[in-house]
Amino acid sequence: MALFGWIMMGIAIWHFTVFLPDRFWAGIVGAFVGSVIGAVLFALIVSGFSLPSQDDTTVLTVLYAVPGTLLGLGAVWLIGVRQENAEGGHEGGTPSTPGASSAFGRSAA
Amino acid sequence: MTDRRRNFFILLLVAGLLAGSLAVILSKPTRLGLDLRGGVELVYEARPTQQQPVVDQEALDRAIDVMRDRVDALGVSEPEIQRSGSDQILVGLPDVENAEEAQQQVGQVAQLFFYDWEPNVIGEDGKTHPRDPEVTGGQSAGSLGTMSLYDAVQVASKRPAVDDRNNTHEGLFYAVDEKDKEVVAGPEETREDLQKDVDELPADERNAKVYEVKEGTVIIRAEQRDNLKENQKSDRWYVLADNVALRGTDIKNPEQNYDNGPGGTGQPIVTFDFTDQGRKTWKEITREIARRGASQSFGNPQAAAQHFAIVLDNELISVPYIDFVQNPNGIDASNGSQITGGFTIESAQELSNLLKTGALPVKLELISQSQVSATLGQQSLDQGLLAGAAGLGIVALFLLIFYRILGVIAVTALVVYSLYFYALIKLIPITLTLPGIAGLILTIGVAADANIVIFERVKEEIRAGRSVTQGLAAGYKKGIGAIIDANVVTIMVAFILFVLATAGVKGFAFTLGVGTMVSLFTAVLFTQAIVGTLGHSKALGRPSALGAEKPRKEIAFDFMGRSKWFFSASGVILLVCALAIGGKGLDLGIDFESGTRIRAAIEKPNVNEDQIRDALATVGQSEAEIQRVQEPELGRNVFQISTENLRPDQVTRVTNTLDQEFGVAGEPNTQSIGPTFGETVAKSAIIAIIASLLVVSVYLALRFEWKYAVPVLIALMHDLLITAGIYALIGQEVTAGTVAALLTILGFSLYDTIIVFDRIRENVPRMPSATFSQVVNRSMSEVIVRSLATSFTAALPVLMLFLFGGETLQDFAIALLIGTLSGTYSSVFIASQVLTAWKEREPIYRRRRQRVMAENGGVVPAYATGNAGKIVDPQPSRRSRGRLTAPDDPDRGVSREEFDEMVRDLHVDQPPARTAVQDPEPEAPRPGADASPDDLFMKDDKRNGGKKPRNKRHGRNR
Repeated sequence: MALFGWIMMGIAIWHFTVFLPDRFWAGIVGAFVGSVIGAVLFALIVSGFSLPSQDDTTVLTVLYAVPGTLLGLGAVWLIGVRQENAEGGHEGGTPSTPGASSAFGRSAA
Repeated sequence: MTDRRRNFFILLLVAGLLAGSLAVILSKPTRLGLDLRGGVELVYEARPTQQQPVVDQEALDRAIDVMRDRVDALGVSEPEIQRSGSDQILVGLPDVENAEEAQQQVGQVAQLFFYDWEPNVIGEDGKTHPRDPEVTGGQSAGSLGTMSLYDAVQVASKRPAVDDRNNTHEGLFYAVDEKDKEVVAGPEETREDLQKDVDELPADERNAKVYEVKEGTVIIRAEQRDNLKENQKSDRWYVLADNVALRGTDIKNPEQNYDNGPGGTGQPIVTFDFTDQGRKTWKEITREIARRGASQSFGNPQAAAQHFAIVLDNELISVPYIDFVQNPNGIDASNGSQITGGFTIESAQELSNLLKTGALPVKLELISQSQVSATLGQQSLDQGLLAGAAGLGIVALFLLIFYRILGVIAVTALVVYSLYFYALIKLIPITLTLPGIAGLILTIGVAADANIVIFERVKEEIRAGRSVTQGLAAGYKKGIGAIIDANVVTIMVAFILFVLATAGVKGFAFTLGVGTMVSLFTAVLFTQAIVGTLGHSKALGRPSALGAEKPRKEIAFDFMGRSKWFFSASGVILLVCALAIGGKGLDLGIDFESGTRIRAAIEKPNVNEDQIRDALATVGQSEAEIQRVQEPELGRNVFQISTENLRPDQVTRVTNTLDQEFGVAGEPNTQSIGPTFGETVAKSAIIAIIASLLVVSVYLALRFEWKYAVPVLIALMHDLLITAGIYALIGQEVTAGTVAALLTILGFSLYDTIIVFDRIRENVPRMPSATFSQVVNRSMSEVIVRSLATSFTAALPVLMLFLFGGETLQDFAIALLIGTLSGTYSSVFIASQVLTAWKEREPIYRRRRQRVMAENGGVVPAYATGNAGKIVDPQPSRRSRGRLTAPDDPDRGVSREEFDEMVRDLHVDQPPARTAVQDPEPEAPRPGADASPDDLFMKDDKRNGGKKPRNKRHGRNR
């Protein structure tokens, strides 16, 4: 059950990456992978590499995933930025024009 | 074949099938499952034995044959015995009311052995004492028992191993609670199996010590004594040297009979014959026993009489003596022999049946048992049929209101579909279960969805300026791809569910799969034939008849621009759900957690929960959870009792206590799920979900491109997690049915997503200068009504299921309702957005984006606009073949893939001489256009072998 909660928390936080400039490695999908892996890995480490059972899963257990998600997202971001720099611009991300502020860019109706 | 002939042929086929269906419906009975007619369902897990060290398919099939013979001997009509998974056997016994008796009859291993008694009985010192009546029992041999099971295990475990071909086992394991001096589990043939049993024990008994009784020694239960009640077994035991004289395979023709011979008692007995080998061995054994008796006789022949023991599954059935005066040379077995032992007629029949059918090749562990009363079955059937009728009615009403004449055609197709499906259920025959009815009702939505996809496309084509005839033709032609994609996915999910899920869910998966296939025929081919035939009639001649008289109001909602807020909303919902999972957890039902649930209608008025708890305390169930439930069909005072997993005899004790104390109306409904079964359900659910996601991804990657598959997976995870989270939030119990519903959500969610993605795929090559977000916005605005309509239609029967389906069907309905709503939302606001964000990273779309932003003052308009500020409608056929589009990358021209797509779209077989380098002028929409690109190319295409286009109306060349 804890694993379920961690994945859920990771994906929940991932939804808010739309407010960040899209410089993640592999874009929004890379951020998704980073948040889920980060959430599960970190929470597993905190839990001593054991999966808490249904009875042992509390709100706190689920919150173990939060730092992991942020770390995962940060890692994917760093990889993305390094890749961009290595490619000499924004090859992997959206353009750095004023209109492209997030993963979904900015548009006008 | 001309269209007219084809339509005629299809209508003829439909009429023929309809007549056949009616004949089947009127002539064949409907096979109802146990949950709809009442009965007992037993699920066994096969475990290896010494004779069968590996549980393979052949062993299971042999076991099923033996069980089928036993069930036939019980006289049960329409029993169902089938393999489930790699090591389970499911037995359904309709109309049987006693689960315990059925379990004893069907699942007993029935290994019969004969022992020479006196030389093999072992005393408390671990040695044989053939002449000591304290050990052998003397004239009461076999009935008293020399020790408790605990003592027997202590004695037997100290004996050394004796390797002998006459042994019945290679070592048995027992788990012993040293504190209470009692055996808590066993015997099992391996430590692993014993550990499984121990794991199922209450927590305070799990520290039991394991003892091994080595080969050469066996512990058997003493004979049933007369002072014991029926079904009550002796708690005294013997330890024997495991030196078998005869086996069950040495006898034949067992029959229940009466002891009517000279000096007979007239009591029921079991008679049998011997095989040739058995006859010979029997003669030798009885001669040896008789001689031993004669040699020990000092005046009283009866006191010196020696015995042989008949043991069935480690329990003494009978220990008769050999009269050495009458049979000094042993008993001639040519006339067979008999077993006497205080049988009732039923128990004698039971034993003879067991011996007749032979021993099971494997040991069967009962992991789940349920008993449904006929009353509850009838109630469930009524509720299921009501929900089905209501579902069909409300979907029909919706179709008629929204699509008018087309709606009438769709409703006709729905009725035909229902008749076909009902006939198929009777013809195959499919055993109709409650989950199966849920699957059937869902397919009504699936069948209607297919029509909606086409009808919306037809309306769109007509509103775009086509004539009704051309709109109908184009609607079917363009809609069919999305329908096939969506239905193939549903069929694949149903197939995976059928292969991997537990038995109860299989019925649901089967009806869903078969129903989806049948609906493809009725909703697409049949309606197309009707529409094709009536296409030129007055009824279909006016756009108003199809609900397409008014031009649709343009939807200019900026789906992509607003998406971050929808994304955030999803994030907040998931955050709350995650906290609910942590705070409240999922209420996993007994399907997963194991346990016993008894539902009984109490006759005595004004009984409350405490009184029931007090009564149950007398049978050791003081910890039971008791709640009053509303089941008007069963009675006014219906209580549900939930306990840890109970054996069939314990369930009987509980129900008997309730009956004695308060009176129980009718048969109580019981369900016991062992931990093994719960694990199987959970494991199969996880495997089914992963397998479905994988198969669906591969399919989408092949049909679209791999980048389209990833957003779909993310959207599906979104739907599943939200559904599970809401279950945690509202505290709804998760059952095996919920898992089936979750998997069905995959299919429904995909249906919507595929419709949206199909349009994006269609529009990408037709909007060669637009950014990907503009393509998606355009596509969404075109299909949003269709998407909402299909979701609404899918939700309508589910809502009926929820309102009228009763408790079990409500399990499905809640998950499906949440999933359907979430699926629609995620298709529009999650999957497409992820796809957009990902595709916009591709160099070609990045360059387009830069160019569009440069042209529009740093922003990307929500919809692609031309110089005049109008939305550019995709009109590929209007472009000249030499000037396709301006390339996004001047150095590269258009990409190969983009070019190929444009070529396919334009139906150009040969590539043009060169690609253009100039921006096309945006063209205004041409509402008056009355020809599809296909039509235009067909007419002008000189490569068409010089053939004149066919006059479709008459099917001849013009």
